[in-house]
Amino acid sequence: MITETLTEQKVAFRPIAENEPDWLYDLRSRAWDYFQEAEMPSQVEHLWKYTKPKWFMPKEIEKKMSVLPVASEIKDEEIAPLKPEFAAFGCNHGDRITYTQLSEELKSSGIVFEDIQKAITNHPDLVQKYLGRLIGYDFGKFEALNMALFNSGMFLYLPPNIELEKPIYMHRHPDDKYNIPRLLVVVGDNSKATIIDDYAGKANDRPYNANCAVEIFGGQNSQIRFVSPQNLYKESRSYVTQRAQIDQHGRMFSIFVSLGSDVSKFNLGTILNGQGAYSQMLGILFGDEKQHFDHHTMHHHKAGESFSNIDFKVVLKDKALSAYTGLIKIDEKTLNCEAFQENRNLLLNKGARAESIPELEILNDQVRCSHGATVGPIDPEMVFYLKSRGYSTDEAVRTIVAGFIEPLLTAVPEDLRQMMQNMVQFKLNNGTGE
Amino acid sequence: MSDKKTVFSFSDIHVEVGGNEVVKGVSLDIKEGEIHAIMGPNGSGKSSLANALAGHPSYEITGGKAMIYGKDLLEMDATERALAGLFLAFQYPLAIPGVTVANFLRAAVKAKHGGDEEALRSFRKNLKEKFKLLEVDTSFATRYVNDGFSGGEKKRLEILQMAMLDPKIGILDETDSGLDIDALKVVSKGINSVATGKNGLLLVTHYQRILNYIKPDKVHVMMNGKFVREGGPELALELEEKGYDWIKAENQQAVEV
Ligand SMILES: Nc1ncnc2c1ncn2[C@@H]1O[C@H](COP(=O)(O)OP(=O)(O)OP(=O)(O)O)[C@@H](O)[C@H]1O
Ligand SMILES: [Mg+2]
Repeated sequence: MITETLTEQKVAFRPIAENEPDWLYDLRSRAWDYFQEAEMPSQVEHLWKYTKPKWFMPKEIEKKMSVLPVASEIKDEEIAPLKPEFAAFGCNHGDRITYTQLSEELKSSGIVFEDIQKAITNHPDLVQKYLGRLIGYDFGKFEALNMALFNSGMFLYLPPNIELEKPIYMHRHPDDKYNIPRLLVVVGDNSKATIIDDYAGKANDRPYNANCAVEIFGGQNSQIRFVSPQNLYKESRSYVTQRAQIDQHGRMFSIFVSLGSDVSKFNLGTILNGQGAYSQMLGILFGDEKQHFDHHTMHHHKAGESFSNIDFKVVLKDKALSAYTGLIKIDEKTLNCEAFQENRNLLLNKGARAESIPELEILNDQVRCSHGATVGPIDPEMVFYLKSRGYSTDEAVRTIVAGFIEPLLTAVPEDLRQMMQNMVQFKLNNGTGE
Repeated sequence: MSDKKTVFSFSDIHVEVGGNEVVKGVSLDIKEGEIHAIMGPNGSGKSSLANALAGHPSYEITGGKAMIYGKDLLEMDATERALAGLFLAFQYPLAIPGVTVANFLRAAVKAKHGGDEEALRSFRKNLKEKFKLLEVDTSFATRYVNDGFSGGEKKRLEILQMAMLDPKIGILDETDSGLDIDALKVVSKGINSVATGKNGLLLVTHYQRILNYIKPDKVHVMMNGKFVREGGPELALELEEKGYDWIKAENQQAVEV
């Protein structure tokens, strides 16, 4: 196999751009070495118990070694004007250069929203300050690969004291190659933003593999709402590592919706880095056919009086599988934290399978903490009750599933709820062939 | 005798659940506007019969015939039976978390009336009326179906559902159990509002009390999976007074002879 010989033999590491800064070249070459030397993750390790690492290994990786970003296929004059409902819009296909649009008001605000490669050239100090600080070159084998060879993505920097009413919409489409996107988001102190990271793959219907890293920094008193719908093409594989870090009294609200891809492994974590930091994560996963999902979430309380809550709901039909591990970590000296975690799984038929593994590393006892997990089939008595009122079996199942998700949707801020509802509804209807 | 049409009838119905035969050949004929009551000791098979007739997959009808307005009930699944006009008010109504009463009923009305715009347009008004009729607080419209409802509230909501769906035949499984005295009156009012003209009702009950409000045409006594006696409303009074032992004894003799 190409991939195996490659990890043994060393390939000379080349810069991604002619004017690449030294610090980045160093960081990337260290990452490359790490990637070469690191063992494949062992499947004995709990995080890899259900998913084979080799599914995410690229073929013909040497081709990626010196790939420069390709110009966007869309010419400037073809770009539609920014929709009035968004503060900014970014579009990224495969390993092409991202194009971004800002609303008039934002242009003079000091906001940076650019293709990540361009940002390295235009704002090297800013990028250097944040890139790789949460997902470093030695985070793990696949994260190292991303750091070494990322060649597409976006950089968003929101200076302090800016409150955006409208969301920033990011449209990210992997294509039919091995994609290595990277997203870096920095929201300054007292700033407020809603970011929709639409990670979807309808650009073309050819299988692809994607290795994605997302780093998010929330300053003091910042408020970030990060909405992350994943609707990748059904034949694709996707490996995503996301880390957010929230400073004093900052608030992070993240929603992830996992609907697409054949195999997806998501590692989603928020670090409560400052006193009184707050994080709420909501997750909805809906799988069918032979979809394989492997989600890991983490809330790491590094500062006292911080709050975290995760509610992750999973619906599976056909032969779909979901493995979920949820970690709550509270450090020894971080007192008076509250941390809650709940994962419920609803199985619509016999072939579907769900695993749920809560993990707690709580090193002091001045905390309030709870976690719960349930895995269960759809209740046939409920189906009968609805059928006895004239519902078809399909309608009954859909109604029960919608009811299962409902409490989570009510927790979604009102302005984002309709979007979530539409996504879930679409998959629900699709799932029954209507 | 009467030239009234039969709404609902079944004959020689046998039901198996969990590998046991719990209903052993029962027959009944309900004509338009008629109310029948079934009474009988615990475990005699009343709910099994009701569930089986409504199409519950765990209650298998292993023999007999059942017709609703001349159509073969046993050919239909639970959905089709409901759409043909059969309604079961459950002895133990189930909670459907996350689904509001209003949405739940809107979908049921839509299923019944298909594309009939008028029925959907008048849905709100109709729902309001039924809330009033059953003296249910309108806040229940946005509560999740039976989720956290008290026993009596659940029963009230079953009848509210029935009133909304206006079925041809309502099978009420111990709707009166767990209702306080005032609630019983209100719920009876709701039941009577459905039992008009062409509809039929089959009431499963332990107490003759409800029959003070709802006048049955016939009372059937069920024991050990069979109807062992049939009479008018006076039979209910007699049962209330004497219990079931005397019927048991009579039946015993009949078998021995
Ligand atoms: N789902 C089931 N699985 C196994 N056995 C059942 C089931 N449902 C009913 N049975 C059995 O069938 C018999 C009849 O029960 P059923 O509930 O029909 O009685 P009932 O006349 O409605 O009693 P009650 O007055 O207490 O409500 C009982 O022996 C009961 O245990
Ligand atoms: Mg019963």
